[in-house]
Amino acid sequence: MRRRDFLKYTALGSLSTTLANCRSSVRWQPEAFRKKASSRVAILAAKSYDQSLKDVILRGIKLCALQVTGKRVVLKPNLVEFDPKGVINTNPAVIEAAIDAFRSLGAAEVIVAEGPGHRRDNEYLLSASGLYDVIREHKVRYVDLNSDDVRATPVRSSFTNFKELYLPETLFNADLLVSMPKLKTHHWAGVTLSMKNLFGIVPGTVYGWPKNILHWQGIDNSILDINSSLPLPQFSIVDGIVGMEGNGPLQGQAKNSGVLIFGDDFVSVDASAARLMKLEPRKVIHLAKAGEFLGNLNYEKIEQIGEKLESLQQDFSVIEDLKDLKKITG
Amino acid sequence: MLDRIIATLLENQNADGGYGSLRGKRSNTESTALAVTALKTLAESSAAENRKRGIDWLVQRQNKEGSWPLNETVKQGSWTTALAITALSDSQEHDERALAAARWLLEQEGSKPGILAEIILWATGKSNVNKLNKDLIGWSWVPNSFSWVEPTSYALIAVKKLRPRLAGTNVDERIRQADAMIYDRMCNGGGWNYGNSKVLDYALWPYPDITALALIAMQDRAREKANQESLQVLTKIARETDSGLALCWAAICLNVYGQDNSEFQRMIDKRFAASKFLGETKSLALAIIALGDKANPFRI
Repeated sequence: MRRRDFLKYTALGSLSTTLANCRSSVRWQPEAFRKKASSRVAILAAKSYDQSLKDVILRGIKLCALQVTGKRVVLKPNLVEFDPKGVINTNPAVIEAAIDAFRSLGAAEVIVAEGPGHRRDNEYLLSASGLYDVIREHKVRYVDLNSDDVRATPVRSSFTNFKELYLPETLFNADLLVSMPKLKTHHWAGVTLSMKNLFGIVPGTVYGWPKNILHWQGIDNSILDINSSLPLPQFSIVDGIVGMEGNGPLQGQAKNSGVLIFGDDFVSVDASAARLMKLEPRKVIHLAKAGEFLGNLNYEKIEQIGEKLESLQQDFSVIEDLKDLKKITG
Repeated sequence: MLDRIIATLLENQNADGGYGSLRGKRSNTESTALAVTALKTLAESSAAENRKRGIDWLVQRQNKEGSWPLNETVKQGSWTTALAITALSDSQEHDERALAAARWLLEQEGSKPGILAEIILWATGKSNVNKLNKDLIGWSWVPNSFSWVEPTSYALIAVKKLRPRLAGTNVDERIRQADAMIYDRMCNGGGWNYGNSKVLDYALWPYPDITALALIAMQDRAREKANQESLQVLTKIARETDSGLALCWAAICLNVYGQDNSEFQRMIDKRFAASKFLGETKSLALAIIALGDKANPFRI
């Protein structure tokens, strides 16, 4: 058994969940989830953070036919931790461009919101990452999802033992959640993209830091139950201008990839992002399972627009235990 | 500056007497307990009505078994109980409430991986994914889950304050083991993060707020080498941190350890002028404690 398998099934204690799952083969109600016949994913070149990213983001939103006018939009970047020598976080330039883009398209309000997984200290993370200057300059409301007011919502699949999840009130009062992950490998989950990024909407005051209760339930299980239970529509913008390879999500190496990825089907977006990293999405456990009910995983079900995926592919390295992800099967 | 910080904190008080994480957010135990703790360090006449309403909010929300809920949505006993104890523990009027809560707290234990998980870890040679002793039990964020540094520190401060009055309980053993857990989770070279010094052979780094908090919880072992090393780490990393939360905890910690914290008090002033601490109740309350000249409520 490899470490990833082990962590999936135990994650320092998720055995009870695993055993419960063995007893129950029905983990979602098919009638509650209707995948689209196909999902559109836009892959657009963006060579550096210095270029006009607003135009790229506007193009991505338009290619995906996302309706924004009058909507209250929550941008959820990845601000899990900060390392001055690393590339952990969604770059503030991408967030700034998204703020501009959504406002120019007539969004009623744009909010930046995150519930960092390791640190409670928002002021530090915002200042150190450079995001504080962005939200101040653009007069954008920032919400600490870790300490937001919470509301219980039923879990719509049953990969974990959670019957309900407490989620931040901000999500219930918004019309659109935009997951803005960094293009990264993850030493336990394989990849951390639009879906895994949503660990950051789980409030730390309820579930603690480092949100370990989600690990106890199994990381993949938790990703699936969180994503199946979102109380609002979603969209994704993946910051792949500079990604992270190797021992992600914190201590990997920077990898220049020069892309932004867009779409409203997180499974399709993450599958495409994995393929851009030359990783097999069908071997990423949570993506493989999500492809059964949450979204489209298979290449032929994804309408790829913008740049050709093959032309922007980069060979992201992974830790030894994840080598199997490099065996592309289709 | 202190007056402005107090005024900003009071603006965060809700009509029900409690405090939310920010102005306009619903009241919760953590914010209210810290605000009450801060207001109690002020002169008796200052903000007396605000203080009383905050205490009333806490008193009215205590669960029957002694614990405090996180807020009015998540009502089961929570890690915030330790903060409510600290807020009420020096008041004769609420003495029994604090003791009941401490007894409840002593019954709460972080859990550890099951034996099957341990067998698999051992069999696969993966016992060292993290560098921590899973047998050492402190306190957890979520009932019946793993122990972490921050909730354990809050609990240690609370039960150490009340230790002489908890005779006949397991307080000594809980403290002994939780102290050991805190030391076990220390980062290489000193200081603490949320509670994990290594993942997959890669060292993780300390955070100033958590380092200060752990040191406060371990103030009765101030002369230990680990404390002294971590105190030096704290001074270094807090200086480099643009954050009211980190600076306030650092100043409070240095005060508890009898060290000059005036440099950090000046930094707190500057930071408040620059950011207002994002309006966070927690940082505002800690700033009042850090800048005040009254007895430090986190002294055990």
